Amino acid sequence: MDLVVVTGAFKGLGFAICKHLLKNGYSVVGIGRTLTSEYQELQEQYQDYLFHEVFDFNNIEDIKALSKKITSKYGVIYGLVNNAALGHDGVLATMHESQIEELIRVNVQAPIVLTKYISRSMLIRQRGRIINISSVIATTGYNGLSVYGATKSALSGFTRSLARELGRANITVNTVAPGFMDTSMTSSLKGEKLDSIRRRSPLNRMATVDDVANSVGFLLTPAADNITGSTITIDAGSTA
Amino acid sequence: MTERTNIRESITKSFHDALERTDSKLLVDNLSDDIVLLQSGLDSLGFAILVAILDEELGFDPFAMMDEPVYPVTFGEFVSIYEKISPTE
Ligand SMILES: NC(=O)c1ccc[n+]([C@@H]2O[C@H](COP(=O)([O-])OP(=O)(O)OC[C@H]3O[C@@H](n4cnc5c(N)ncnc54)[C@H](OP(=O)(O)O)[C@@H]3O)[C@@H](O)[C@H]2O)c1
Repeated sequence: MDLVVVTGAFKGLGFAICKHLLKNGYSVVGIGRTLTSEYQELQEQYQDYLFHEVFDFNNIEDIKALSKKITSKYGVIYGLVNNAALGHDGVLATMHESQIEELIRVNVQAPIVLTKYISRSMLIRQRGRIINISSVIATTGYNGLSVYGATKSALSGFTRSLARELGRANITVNTVAPGFMDTSMTSSLKGEKLDSIRRRSPLNRMATVDDVANSVGFLLTPAADNITGSTITIDAGSTA
Repeated sequence: MTERTNIRESITKSFHDALERTDSKLLVDNLSDDIVLLQSGLDSLGFAILVAILDEELGFDPFAMMDEPVYPVTFGEFVSIYEKISPTE
């Protein structure tokens, strides 16, 4: 049974990804800051398949030890889904420097360092999948999300070069770019704004976390053996 | 002393392992201390695999433990980094 590590796993998209993977026969180690009751309930349902590690990705210097702990406790890792991220919004001119720093640390530096160590177990076995969760905002831009947008573009740039680096070791690296989804990250967007996002979609709706989880799942299957360095956009057509 | 011999042996064995995994061949007669790593036949991905194998086998990665980036040039330097940083020493 293949083991997949999912960051930001206890709620939102990460949680949907965990559910999808468990249904499809993977074991999962979820990492996050605050364990939720829904995650714990899922763990009861999948006792021998779903695990968790509580960790704050602000602690970059402990990521190496975290990766070691995961490999020695749960075994060889097949897949890594870099999903955890902060979504601070605000006009750049008034955004506090500490928030700029935190966004870059949690959304870019942490997934890069985690990938460095988690990919070792894939390198040795010449088999693995890395999936970075970016956003349509990485390419479209959005008022009030310049720093967040920069971090999401950074991740897709990371994907493309790393795919070239790890290809010969039979490890694929891809980006999944969701459009607007209804999660705690977007809970401040309401009414008018939501309607306008929906209206801009050719399908007149928004993608859901389950839609995105399906694509992540697909990239882990043998059917995606020859897909690397690419981006799958799931946004109900909003950026078409 | 035995600890040191073990580290050298592990590195030599894993070096060949990494060569095999990257479909590469040793381009020198043997891995003596003065062999320049870049001319050994192992490429950058091969070195990443070597460091990963050693991390699993010896339980540490000296390059990640050092405060400054260090890039050994010869095989002898590579081995001595592992011997010096070894937490069991
Ligand atoms: N929602 C959208 O519309 C949308 C659109 C495009 C892309 N995305 C991307 O989708 C991914 C998931 O977001 P989401 O919508 O599911 O948002 P979410 O519900 O806010 O989830 C974010 C996750 O990241 C974790 N996280 C944040 N900071 C962390 C830290 N310092 N250490 C450890 N974990 C941390 C959170 O854990 P805690 O709660 O425990 O902190 C949470 O599980 C993100 O990469 C986001 O950029 C979202």
